Amino acid sequence: MSRFLTPAKIGLLALMELYVEGAVPNDAIMPVLGFISSLLLNRDLVTAAASPSPAERWKRADRNIALIVSVKEFKKVLAPFAAADGVPGRRLWDRFLEKLWGIDSLHGLREFFDRLPNLIARTKDELRELAAHGHPPPVGVFLTRSSIFGVFVRRAHGNSRLLQLHQTAEVWKLFVKYRHPTAGHWRKRNPLYGRLSFDSVLMAGEQQWGNHTEAVAVAAYGDMLLVGDHDVTLPVTYDDVEALSEFQIDQMQKYGNRAPRDVRVKFQRLVKDSHFIPSLSHYLSFSDATRAGDYPMSFDYLYRYFDYTMQKSDRLFYQYALMNLAIVQSEFGSHEEAIDTMLETVSVARENRDLPCLNFTLNWFFHFGRAHPNLIYDLENSSMPTNEKASLAYLRVRARETGMWILWCSTLQSEAKVGLARGDSISAAMEDMVRSSQLIVLRNMKPMVGPQLIMRISLWDRLGLANMSSMSCEAFLRCYARNCLLEDELKVICRLAGLLAGKGKYEEAFARLEAIDPSTLCNAKTNQYWHFYRGLLKLRRDLHRGNLVSSETLLSQLLQTGPEDLEPDMVFVLDSLHMEALTRRGDLDAAFTKLDGLMAQLRETNRDISLRIRLLLIKAHIFDCAGRPEKGFSAAMRAARLAWRARLMSLIWQSLGALANIMNSLGEFEPAARLCVAILPRCLEADAAHTAGWLYSVLADARVGQAASAAAEEGHGGPAGLVGGIVLPMRNLSLEHTKQNHQQQQHGGGGKREEYLVQAHDALGSAGKYFADVEDVQKLCEVLAKKATLMKMMGQDGLAEEYARRYLLLRRGEGLEMYCG
Amino acid sequence: MGLSAKDSVHLKEALQVAVVKCSERCLYQSAKWAAELLDALPDPPEAELGQTTAGGSGPDVHPAFVPNVDPLEAALEAQELNKYLLAKSYFDCKEFDRCAAVFLPDSLLSGVLSAKQGDAETSKAKASTSLPSEQTLPNISQKSLFLALYAKVIAGEKLKDEDSEMIMGPQDLGSVVNKQLLIVSRFLERWFAERKTDDGELPASQGFLEYLYGMALVKEKNDSAALDYLMQSVHLFPWNWGCWLEITNLIARVEQLNKIAPHLPQNIMSFIFHANTAVNLYQQGQDLAASLTDLLNIFPKSSFLLTCKALLNYHSKDLLTAEQDFSNLLALHPHRLDSLDHYSNILYVLNLRPKLAFLAHLCSSIDKFRPESCVVIGNYYSLLSSHEKAVQYFRRALTLDRTCLSAWTLMGHEYVELKNTHAAIESYRRAVDVNRRDYRAWYGLGQTYEVLEMHAYALWYYKKAAGLRPWDGKMWQAVGSCLQKMGRERDGIKALKRALLADSYYDSTSSSFGSTGAVDRMAQMDPEVLLQIAAMYDRLDEEEEAKAYMELCVAQEDGGASGADVGGLADSVAIHHDFPGAGSDGEGEGAGDRAAGHEGIGVTPATSKARMWLARHAMRAEDYATATRLATELCQDGVEVEEAKALIREARSRMELGSMVER
Repeated sequence: MSRFLTPAKIGLLALMELYVEGAVPNDAIMPVLGFISSLLLNRDLVTAAASPSPAERWKRADRNIALIVSVKEFKKVLAPFAAADGVPGRRLWDRFLEKLWGIDSLHGLREFFDRLPNLIARTKDELRELAAHGHPPPVGVFLTRSSIFGVFVRRAHGNSRLLQLHQTAEVWKLFVKYRHPTAGHWRKRNPLYGRLSFDSVLMAGEQQWGNHTEAVAVAAYGDMLLVGDHDVTLPVTYDDVEALSEFQIDQMQKYGNRAPRDVRVKFQRLVKDSHFIPSLSHYLSFSDATRAGDYPMSFDYLYRYFDYTMQKSDRLFYQYALMNLAIVQSEFGSHEEAIDTMLETVSVARENRDLPCLNFTLNWFFHFGRAHPNLIYDLENSSMPTNEKASLAYLRVRARETGMWILWCSTLQSEAKVGLARGDSISAAMEDMVRSSQLIVLRNMKPMVGPQLIMRISLWDRLGLANMSSMSCEAFLRCYARNCLLEDELKVICRLAGLLAGKGKYEEAFARLEAIDPSTLCNAKTNQYWHFYRGLLKLRRDLHRGNLVSSETLLSQLLQTGPEDLEPDMVFVLDSLHMEALTRRGDLDAAFTKLDGLMAQLRETNRDISLRIRLLLIKAHIFDCAGRPEKGFSAAMRAARLAWRARLMSLIWQSLGALANIMNSLGEFEPAARLCVAILPRCLEADAAHTAGWLYSVLADARVGQAASAAAEEGHGGPAGLVGGIVLPMRNLSLEHTKQNHQQQQHGGGGKREEYLVQAHDALGSAGKYFADVEDVQKLCEVLAKKATLMKMMGQDGLAEEYARRYLLLRRGEGLEMYCG
Repeated sequence: MGLSAKDSVHLKEALQVAVVKCSERCLYQSAKWAAELLDALPDPPEAELGQTTAGGSGPDVHPAFVPNVDPLEAALEAQELNKYLLAKSYFDCKEFDRCAAVFLPDSLLSGVLSAKQGDAETSKAKASTSLPSEQTLPNISQKSLFLALYAKVIAGEKLKDEDSEMIMGPQDLGSVVNKQLLIVSRFLERWFAERKTDDGELPASQGFLEYLYGMALVKEKNDSAALDYLMQSVHLFPWNWGCWLEITNLIARVEQLNKIAPHLPQNIMSFIFHANTAVNLYQQGQDLAASLTDLLNIFPKSSFLLTCKALLNYHSKDLLTAEQDFSNLLALHPHRLDSLDHYSNILYVLNLRPKLAFLAHLCSSIDKFRPESCVVIGNYYSLLSSHEKAVQYFRRALTLDRTCLSAWTLMGHEYVELKNTHAAIESYRRAVDVNRRDYRAWYGLGQTYEVLEMHAYALWYYKKAAGLRPWDGKMWQAVGSCLQKMGRERDGIKALKRALLADSYYDSTSSSFGSTGAVDRMAQMDPEVLLQIAAMYDRLDEEEEAKAYMELCVAQEDGGASGADVGGLADSVAIHHDFPGAGSDGEGEGAGDRAAGHEGIGVTPATSKARMWLARHAMRAEDYATATRLATELCQDGVEVEEAKALIREARSRMELGSMVER
């Protein structure tokens, strides 16, 4: 089997010959040349056109395979055009067939190859030589030597000369088979066509040999004639397979997606029929298996790949082999082994003085350390640069020295990320991002735009600018997604869905998630991520709706996914939801134990500051639920302080809300109300509906408290101690109690008090709206109960009854639509 | 003709026995040959067959499976059957040394040989003829002994191949020998000596051991002794084709063949042998053709005989017929690769490129590691002028089989094309060493030396070639040119005249050899040769002769012999037709009537040169009219127009001058 020449390439050469002969009519020139050059270019430059969509990319690969397999592909291009020679009814396709069938024997093929140099423009020397021999210089269109066509023709010619005879014969046999589907068409034009017409020698011999001809033909052509059309070997060469594998690997590495199933199946058939399997195809299988989440197979293929490449010069890249191995190990969750492998990589790379590899390794260690701080802990103390910042600065300098722009850029981004996580100055982080952004623009690193935007999205999130964040998401999806890793795209989509869900637009969020390109989900990791994220959204919704049973099931399913398979952020989200579920079920002990565990874990490692704040807030919340909010005071204070320092806006509002709540419980209604009023508008900006609802309900409590104290001042109300008595039962959600209290309040009143109560009612109304948005039934019930109580206090019994009825309805699980509407 | 049914049955039986016996002794090629021949033998008609079988006793065993007729041997064979079977299966698995060791363990062998050696020394010292060897020869059957010794030989051959250097590499001197041969021949020498009865008679044996000893002797270059033993062998067992082939290889000349012919057993095998050897010696003629036809009547489809016939046609330069023969053969046996290399030579000469490409494809699909396939492919590449590749394939052929004669010769040709004369000479030399009858190699050697301008050497080799192919004009032409260059015009003229005769001779034989509508080139003579002869006469200042030949040369343009009534050549042509074996039929009557139906060869450079010479000659002889006529003809032919015009002008002016003078 030849390395380069295939029947399809012979077809291309024949087409070029037609073109040079001037047989291609004017209107067909562009399509024909476009067809040829797209095929030739695809072989050499994958990214010829400006970033086509993934589907188009695969379609092209598909067409390449189709062309290798069948001659029909030529027909699609050529049949629509008439031939240039003016005979009516003759198509360009006919001329092409004439060319193909003109190659009528092995020797004909040889002559065809030997004729190839005639297609190429002569050099001056050759022209001089021709003139010396008295030949006129050739006229007509020619291909220049260094044009794409010229290079192809010369390469084909050179390759044809290198072939051994049996290889040429092999090409010839394949060509006969490749051409065979056109036999019917050819027979119509050529009445002399017979069974043995594919070889002129056989046809001539038929007269002499008679019925022995068949035996001779079988002897020469082997089983090809016996098996007939069912023969399965495809005319594929090493060159094709290599080009296709390179293309696929490129796709996988660049975009992280797998080939569509049908392309993959076709490709595997090609590989099966190729005599030489390039070692690259093992690498391809390895990547594919990794993407498919097939752990044992991917290891098998990786080792096989390195066994086959050991003999070549690739041995120098042993460190890269190790690096790949480490990445696979970490991807499949065996982190300790990954660390060992990576350390070996470092030592090997150091031995070979492979700076880029060292830099990559360091980068990997950095990211790995961020994801799994506990594992890296021992190392950090002994051998690694102790400080993250220092190691990043070192990495940045090295990347700049070695000209690894992508690494440089991602280091800057990492620096920004670390700064944010540690709660350092926002402007410093911003500066890093601007620098990386400048690098991206300067070096035109399209693939890096994705991470940059993701960084920016999270920055806006932290600053509580939800609009900016969702806008960035949209910008990414619309403009840059096709140049970026699929994983990034998926993450952005999930982020967007999360934002929508935060606003209570669950349906839209789910629609976003469902609308994702199914090819993305071929990949095991993305698939898992997607499912997990969907599960989380569902879980949150169920919790809000109070579907404790279904949420329990969902939670148990989600908890089965081990933390090693997930990103730490997701694990944290899951943990916090778990705690919320426990709280909602009233199992505060369990929730608190879990919280304690998480706190301890977090304290050991040096993680994102926002996580700590969140845990503190949850703590405060648990105390609140336990009816002793004041115990959460220090937690809330610390949370507020940390959040302020790190400018984590949405968290500040939450912690301040928690503070206000505690103040309420301490009877400090006035400052609590002031606090709530101050932060509410800022919180609304952050698009966090649940927080907003909660703040409103805290405000309402404060207002009621204020009303009580106003009444006390006016002397109508009971003793000041009662105030707590008013607020607390309302929080305890017991209707009877509130009613009782309400009766106690009945005779209170006056202008100030009324005003506060009306304000409280308004606040409750807003809170109810926001809770209804996020479908939080429990909170909504709370709000309704409070409203009913308020109405009772204000003496509007009818409305109070109405609220009480709605409350009951809601408790039974009906009537939520009314609020959501 | 055919055989009678009875004969046919006997022949069949004999061949069957031959196949069984040969394969019992692992003589695979001989067995194959016999089986092929057996297959080519048509079944006799049922009726006659019925008679013969009815005549014989009913349920007897097929003679191929009866035990040995010699009771002693039969007993031995029966006794050692187990061991024999073991040895045979080792041989079949290509474990030759192990096979040999079953019957002849190394200890035994060394004992025998040392005894022998000591014996030789004592015999030298004391000149006594007694054989007091303490180590006796093992008492085993001849069959087993043959198998063991043959395995030794084959093992030695294998070792030899492994030890050989790369073809034409710096170390490749062709001097690696089969080390086992010495042992085997010593052993057999002693065996024969011990068997010899007091009166010098040998008791009857099966013939195979003689064959083996003959082979060993051939390798030792002891040709006459070898021939003796081989002849003995064919007398004892005529169905061993390998033995016949060895004899063929020993015979270098027809005379030798004729000499030994009476001493051969008179049976069909000797008949086949005779025909085959004659073909290999480039013989041709009615008798040979007739005998081949006879044989083909008996074995109508025998691929071997068909090949012989095709080769006969090839050697008599009837390429088209030969091509057809081979083509038919190919259709009959599409998987047979033997002698397809000759076919490819024919296709090469006929320049049938697509067909040669097809043949190469066929060979390479059947088995690309057969020397024949490699030669065919090499020929194809040679035709495409890819000489490096051709050399590569010929080398491969030689790596597969160092005795592949045609590959050596063809490789020489390629090296000549590549202007690598040293390599060319070496390859030709190797070809000649392998087979001294290869005239192409001799001729090639001559050519190469001619290129190197070493004419004396070249002449020697050309003469060798001409000796092998006395009826090939090309050889004589080469000899003639060589002589001419050495300044020996007289001899040169003789040689060239012989070339002219030889050419016509071939034509007559080919036309008589059953090929219908043969290309009758007879009356044509090569104008080049004629011109050369004329030029030599010119150099010798024999103007008349020169003029005669020049005219003859010009006359070739239109129907050759119309001008053949010139001088001595007509006589020589007549002489040639009296040559025995040729013009025995009415065809070769005279040159004149034959020429009538001929078209000429048209204008060639040679004839134009001759014409120019004639015109000049006419000028010198002051025959201006003729000169003008010839020059005008030259102008018409468009050759050397300027010179011709100048001649015309000069002739005119001379004529005018003459007329003026007359006036």
